[in-house]
Amino acid sequence: MKKFKQNAPAIPILVWFGLLVGIPLIFVLVLSFLSRDSLGNIVVEFTLDNYKRIFDPIYLKVFFNSFLLATLTALITLLIGYPVAYFTAKLETKKKALAILLIILPFWISSLLRTYGWIILLGNRGLINNILLNLHIIDKPLGMMYKFGTILTGTAYMLIPFMIIAIYNSVDKLDKSLLEASYDLGAGKWKTFFSITLPLTIPGIAGGFTLVFIPALGLYFISDLLGGGKNIFLGNLINSMVTKGRNRPLAAAFSVGMIVMVLIVLFIYNRITRNNKERLL
Amino acid sequence: MKKPLLNLINMNKYFGTSHILKDISLDIMDGEFLTLLGPSGCGKTTILRCIAGLENIDSGDILLNGNSIKDLPPNKRNVNTVFQNYALFPHLNIFDNVAYGPRIKKSMTEDQIKKRVAEVLELVQMTGYEKRMTNQLSGGQRQRIAIARALINEPDILLLDEPLGALDLKLRKYMQTELAGLQKQTKTTFVYVTHDQEEALNMSDRIVVLNKGVIQQVGSPRDIYKNPNNLFVADFIGDRNIKKVKVLEIHDEYSKIKLGNSIINIRNTNNMQRSIQSGEIAILAVHTDKMRITCNNTPNSLSGEIVSVHYAGSQIRTRVNVGGEKITVIEYQNNDCDYEIGDMVHVSWEESGAILLPMEDDFDEIVKSEFHT
Repeated sequence: MKKFKQNAPAIPILVWFGLLVGIPLIFVLVLSFLSRDSLGNIVVEFTLDNYKRIFDPIYLKVFFNSFLLATLTALITLLIGYPVAYFTAKLETKKKALAILLIILPFWISSLLRTYGWIILLGNRGLINNILLNLHIIDKPLGMMYKFGTILTGTAYMLIPFMIIAIYNSVDKLDKSLLEASYDLGAGKWKTFFSITLPLTIPGIAGGFTLVFIPALGLYFISDLLGGGKNIFLGNLINSMVTKGRNRPLAAAFSVGMIVMVLIVLFIYNRITRNNKERLL
Repeated sequence: MKKPLLNLINMNKYFGTSHILKDISLDIMDGEFLTLLGPSGCGKTTILRCIAGLENIDSGDILLNGNSIKDLPPNKRNVNTVFQNYALFPHLNIFDNVAYGPRIKKSMTEDQIKKRVAEVLELVQMTGYEKRMTNQLSGGQRQRIAIARALINEPDILLLDEPLGALDLKLRKYMQTELAGLQKQTKTTFVYVTHDQEEALNMSDRIVVLNKGVIQQVGSPRDIYKNPNNLFVADFIGDRNIKKVKVLEIHDEYSKIKLGNSIINIRNTNNMQRSIQSGEIAILAVHTDKMRITCNNTPNSLSGEIVSVHYAGSQIRTRVNVGGEKITVIEYQNNDCDYEIGDMVHVSWEESGAILLPMEDDFDEIVKSEFHT
């Protein structure tokens, strides 16, 4: 009873999660083991065929592509985001607040609109090509659209704030006296960074990596708009299985496959942060 | 004899518009235990950080072994700091924490490092803790590791920033003895920062008393305690009754002064008294625990009325109204006679317990009424 009272405030959120996350997830899981008829109606008949099709080389390649895109996105946002986060955390309080505001400002604009922005920028009749053509630096448009790199750029751009904020938090709460102790013991700025700052901000890096990797795996409108449908990723695939292929059980099985990939990343993240928490507390 | 190891020369430091250190000049001798003592905000920690190189000075110079180090970054100065919160690296174990300095500077081989770490851990009595993580240690143990991590570098000077502040009273007393012993054993120059006068008096060879970024007095603990050379030091060190008095006559051996309505003689003990002229207002400072209350009149005593009596463990704290001036007396044993609130008694003091100081403009500011009325 006592325990119940203690946990009572958590009940609304548990109900919320149960209804809106738990039940749909179970529904997807059940669906993934069912079949469909030729019209796309669901037939209650147990099968493992949907999962077997994941191992079709064509689909495996899609899984690999998505994994590659998500990993590269996380790495690129880490490389760009770390210095940004590091120097933001070193700013004085007022400038710091402004910098954080600027970092999260893009979230106030629809992500779809921002993706169209990239087309305006990179398209064959886009801003960059127009300027270069008018300056006679090039004589035909650079083909910057519909490539893997275009999708990577768009995805990284979309998700980099998550990386910056995660790393910023761990740099910001780093005890300044540890850095002073390091200088005091004979280390210069670079040595201090690699021996003290970097290892102590690993939880932030792991957090940022997770926050970028997971959505990068599932974003499908960016690859649709910037990739022109040439590169197929998990998100596009599942989307078209539902809307065009009318094969919801297969889409469910692929979704479960994607969830498993996410769980693996979350598991690694947990391991890293748990080890760190033990030491830092 | 001893030679100066570090010279601070007319050092000034500003934070924004506030003048934190004002013309600090100080010679620190090789092998001494020097304490910077003062209330919070007096600039003592800033001096330490300037020596360490963690702050730049705005003017003046810092000489270590005769060479200016004021423009060197902290990692190029052969001084090490024990930080107030210890600042042990949480991601490294004790061995790696202690080995950090030599490894960064590549000053020793891995074998030498092993040997030296074992030596310094033995010195601070932490042998066997090499594999522990910092969060598995108590406050006192972290303190020892912080000292070991600094000492392994064989610094010219070890800077300690209120290192005992976070420990409980009992451990603090124990660590005072330990630290003083460690200093004698390693013959390293210690510059120690504290706001705790007892710590300073216990451990130091010399004490520098600071207030508002200005050095007030430099001297041995005994000197500082017995012969404060200004009002601030008299008020800050020890527990004194501080009263405005009128100087009536000045003789070679003693001076005649008037406190309230009472006239009393005070022995001339302090150099500063020579600058006092008869007829002036001066400051009388008497250690509360060098005073006595008697029921019978004794020569050279003040008569007054008991205002309050407090028993605080081993000491008895009595307040006496002497002609309008309230005086606090601390006695450690049974009174010479029984008295109650309202009784008329006589207050006297040991000659060495009282000094006369010249009047200062900021008397009212320094002698806060809540403690001395």
